[in-house]
Amino acid sequence: MRNLLVVFLAAAAFLHAAGEPKKVFPFAYDQHDFPNGLRLVTIPTDTPNIVSLFIVVQVGSRNEVEPGKTGFAHLFEHMMFRGTKLFPPAKYEAIMKQAGAATNAYTSDDMTVYHATFAKPDLEQILTMEADRFMHLEYNESAIRTESLAVLGEYNKNSASPERKLYESLYDTAFDKHTYKHTTMGFLKDVQDMPNQYEYSKQFFDRYYKPEYTTVIIAGDVSPERTRDMVARQFGAWKHGTFQPSIPDEPPQTGPRQANVVWPSQTLPWVAIGFKAPAYSDSEKDSAALDLITALAFAENAELYQRLVVKEQTVDRLSADYSDHANPNLFIALARVKRESNVNSVRESILATLNGFKDTLVSADRLDAVKKHLRYSFALRLDDPEKVAGVAARYVALKRTPETIDKRYELYSQITPEDVRAAARKYLIENGRSIITLSSGAAK
Amino acid sequence: MKMAFLLLSISALLYGQPKVVALPGKSPIVTFRIVFRTGAAADPSGKEGVAALTASMLASGGTKSMTYQQILDTFYPMAAHVSDNTDKEMISFTASTHADNLDAFYRIFRAMLIEPGWRMEDFERNRDDQSNFLATTLRGNNDEELGKEALYNEIYLNRPYGHHNAGTVGALKALTLADVQSFYAKNFTQVNLIIGIAGGYPANFLDRVKKDFEKLPKGKASRDKLPPPSSIIATEVKLIEKKTGSVAISLGYPIDVRRGSPDFPALLLAASYLGQHRSSGGHLYGRMREARGLNYGDYAYIEYFPQGMFRFEPQPNLARQQQIFQIWIRPVEPKNAHFALRLALFELNKLIAEGIPEEEFERTKSFVDKYSSLLMKTKSAELGYAIDSAVYGIPRYDEYVRNSIAKLTRDDVTNAIRKHFHTNRLRIAIVGQDSQSLRNRLVGEEPSPITYNSPKPQELLDEDKVVASWRIGVKEDQVTIVPVEKVFE
Repeated sequence: MRNLLVVFLAAAAFLHAAGEPKKVFPFAYDQHDFPNGLRLVTIPTDTPNIVSLFIVVQVGSRNEVEPGKTGFAHLFEHMMFRGTKLFPPAKYEAIMKQAGAATNAYTSDDMTVYHATFAKPDLEQILTMEADRFMHLEYNESAIRTESLAVLGEYNKNSASPERKLYESLYDTAFDKHTYKHTTMGFLKDVQDMPNQYEYSKQFFDRYYKPEYTTVIIAGDVSPERTRDMVARQFGAWKHGTFQPSIPDEPPQTGPRQANVVWPSQTLPWVAIGFKAPAYSDSEKDSAALDLITALAFAENAELYQRLVVKEQTVDRLSADYSDHANPNLFIALARVKRESNVNSVRESILATLNGFKDTLVSADRLDAVKKHLRYSFALRLDDPEKVAGVAARYVALKRTPETIDKRYELYSQITPEDVRAAARKYLIENGRSIITLSSGAAK
Repeated sequence: MKMAFLLLSISALLYGQPKVVALPGKSPIVTFRIVFRTGAAADPSGKEGVAALTASMLASGGTKSMTYQQILDTFYPMAAHVSDNTDKEMISFTASTHADNLDAFYRIFRAMLIEPGWRMEDFERNRDDQSNFLATTLRGNNDEELGKEALYNEIYLNRPYGHHNAGTVGALKALTLADVQSFYAKNFTQVNLIIGIAGGYPANFLDRVKKDFEKLPKGKASRDKLPPPSSIIATEVKLIEKKTGSVAISLGYPIDVRRGSPDFPALLLAASYLGQHRSSGGHLYGRMREARGLNYGDYAYIEYFPQGMFRFEPQPNLARQQQIFQIWIRPVEPKNAHFALRLALFELNKLIAEGIPEEEFERTKSFVDKYSSLLMKTKSAELGYAIDSAVYGIPRYDEYVRNSIAKLTRDDVTNAIRKHFHTNRLRIAIVGQDSQSLRNRLVGEEPSPITYNSPKPQELLDEDKVVASWRIGVKEDQVTIVPVEKVFE
C-alpha cells in the first residue's frame, strides 16, 4: 500500500499515461475519522527518518464576525504557544529544541495551521504536547497582554510593505458585509485593543479549538496504523463542540468601486484590480476556469506580460492572485508600474486583456499549455514531506480531504475555451470590480 | 554513496579537475545548481552591480538562438524556471525539471549559461529591475532588510564586500552591455565553475553536462585572499532616517570564523542558543518578545542570511571567506528602540560572562545536531549544502556539525564565545524616524525605562532597571544620520 517506489513511479507517469487515472497528488494517503470528529490524514513519503506534522484548524479571519474582533484568529495562533499546566512554554520549547524541530504556525482567511518537522522518533512526544495544548491551553490575562504586543510588532513590521497596504485597501473597498473585508492581521485599532480581550479569547478557544474543526496531517516516514494509534491515544479524550459561526453573505455589488492610497515614503506606484469571484470548488467549473485565466493572462509568457514587462518595460511586476477560499472572494490583477505617468495606460491594458476573454475564445493549444504547466508545477512542489503536508493542509482547510486535489485537477482538465469565456463573462465585469492605486506621497 | 561523490568533488576542487557535485537518486525531479565562484566582490570599482546584472542577463534573458520570450514560451508547459542568485563570491543558477522534460529543458538551460544572447532590451529590463530592487523594494518597502544590508555595507566600507550584491543605483545607471560581457568573459570560466546535479537523471547525462560546460573558457584562478575589514575601534551607529512607523535595528561586527574554522561549531551553538533564526526557542526571542512583548522576534547569526523575513531556512551557496556576527532586532515601537538595543547587548554580555547555561547546553547541542539534518530535506538544499561543503573543504554539512559539536564541552564553547563575541566596538544600523532624537539619547546615554500593559515578575522589573541605564558607549562623532534616499545610491 505504501510502496514508495510505486509512489514515485506514479508521480513520474502521471503525464504520459494517457487514459490512466491522472493523480496529481500521487501519494497513497490514509484518511481516518475518530469518534470525536477529529480527522487524521497520514501521507507516507520516501524520506527516511523525517516526519512533518501539520494541524489544520478550520478557523481564520473569515470567522471574525463580531465588530472590534478583527485579527483575532491570528492572535489566537500566537496564544497557542502560551502553554498548559503540563507543558508550560519553557518546557514546550525545551522539548521542541531537544527534538531539533523546525516549528511554526500561520493564519489566513480560512485556516490556522500549526506545523513541525522533526526526526521520526520524536513523533509521539510531539503529538503528546500538541494534543495537550489543543485540549488544555491555559494562560492568564498578563500573557495575552504581552503576546498582543508581539502581534502589534508583527503588524508594524508588515506595515513597511506597500503591497500589504494595497491588499488591505482592496478588500476593505470590495467587501461590505462578509468578513473578507478585513485582512488576517485585522484593523489596526482592533490590534491595539487586543490586550483587553482576555475573556473573548477564552470564548474563541472554546468555540473553534474542537476536534470537528481540526485535521491532523502527518507526512513522511510513517505508517497509517501507527499514526492512528498514536493520535487515538493523544487526542481521544478531546470533546466535540457545538458552535456554528454565522458568517454574513456578501450582498451583490452594484457598481464599480475605486480608492487611492498615498504611501508615505518612496515607492513605485501600484495598481490592483479586483473582481468578485466564486469560492473554491472541485465540482463547479467557474472557479477552475478563472484560475486558468490568471495564467492565460498573466503568466510570464502571456501576451500582456510580454508586452508590459518585456517589450514596453512599463511594468516591473505583473501577476494575478485568485487564491482558493471557502467563500466567494476576489480575482486580483496586480501591477507595479515604473512611472506614475503610465499608471492609467497600464490599468487600461489589463482591463482590455481581461475583457478580451469575454469576446475571443482562447486557443486550445494555449489552454493545454496552461493545464500542463499547472500539473508540472504541482509535481515539482512535492519534494519533501513538509511541502507535501503543507500542500495537503491548504486543501484540507477548504474541504477537509486531500481527495479534493485530484478532483480539482480533473476539473481543470475538463475546462474548454467556452468555459473560460463563460467565466470571464460572468465574473470579470464592471459591477464586480474594485480598483486601487497606490503611489508615493513624496512623488507628487 | 553520497559521501563518495562529495569526496570526489572535494578532490576535484583541489586539483583543478572538472568540479562536479552529483547526487543521483530515483526521484522524478532533476535539480540543477550551477555555481560560479565569482560575485559582487569581483565587481570592478565604479561598476558595482555588474556581477548580479550578468547573472540576471543569463537567467532572465535570451540565448544566441532564442529570445527571452521564446524561452519563456518553451519553459511554460514544463513549469520550468531558472533562478539566479549573486552573492559576494558565488553566483548560482538553480532549476528543477521533471524527468519527462529533462532533455528539452536542459538544451535551453545550457544555452542560457554558455551561449547568452546579450540583447539590449534584456539588458535594459534587467538593469531597471536591479535598480528598482535597490531604490524601491529595499529602500522603500523593507526596513528590516534595509537595516541588515546597510550594516554589511558599513562593516565592509572600502572593501570588496562593501556594496550591496545588487550594486549601487549610481553605478547601475552607468553600466553598459559591454561591461556585462566583459565580466562574463573574465569570470564565467571553467576554473570558477561547479556543476551540481541531483535526482533521477540518466546514467550518461552527467558526462554530457560536463562536456557542454567545457565550452566555457578555462580562465585563471582569481580567488585572492580578501583584505580583512577595517578594525572597529569604537562603536559606530548609522541612523537611517525614513518615514516609517517603527524602528528596525541590526548590529554586528566581523568574525574571523567560517565553516571549517576551529571555532565555527562552538559559535554555531552560541548563536543558536542566543537567537536561532525564526525560532521561538532562542534566548533573545524569549527575553525580548516572549517576556516583554517588544517585537515580533530577535535572532543571532554567524553567517550571512539574507531575506530572513521571508525564509525559515538559510539559502545555500552563499559561501564567503569573511563572515560577521549579527543580531537582528525586528521592528520595535519608537519609544522602546533604545531599550531594545540595550537589552540585546545586555543579553549578549550575559552570554559572554556566563556562557550557555548548563541546562541549555546539551539541549542546544541536540537541536543543532538534528536541525542540521533537517536543513537538507529537499534535494535542492542537499545539493546546495554539498557544494558549499566542497568549497569550505568540510565533510557533508550535517556530519560535520554532528561530529564537531559532539566533542565540544561547555568550557570550549564559553572560550570561543569570549574570544569572538564582545559588546563594545560594534557597528549598529537603525532605520526609523526622528533619528536626531535617538542620536541624542544614545550619545547622552540617557536612561530608557520601559513600561508594560500587564504586571511583570519583580525579577524582570529589577533586570529592566539595569538594562535601562546600560552603557552602550557611543561617542558623539561616531553617530551619523543619513536620509534613506542616500543608502545604496
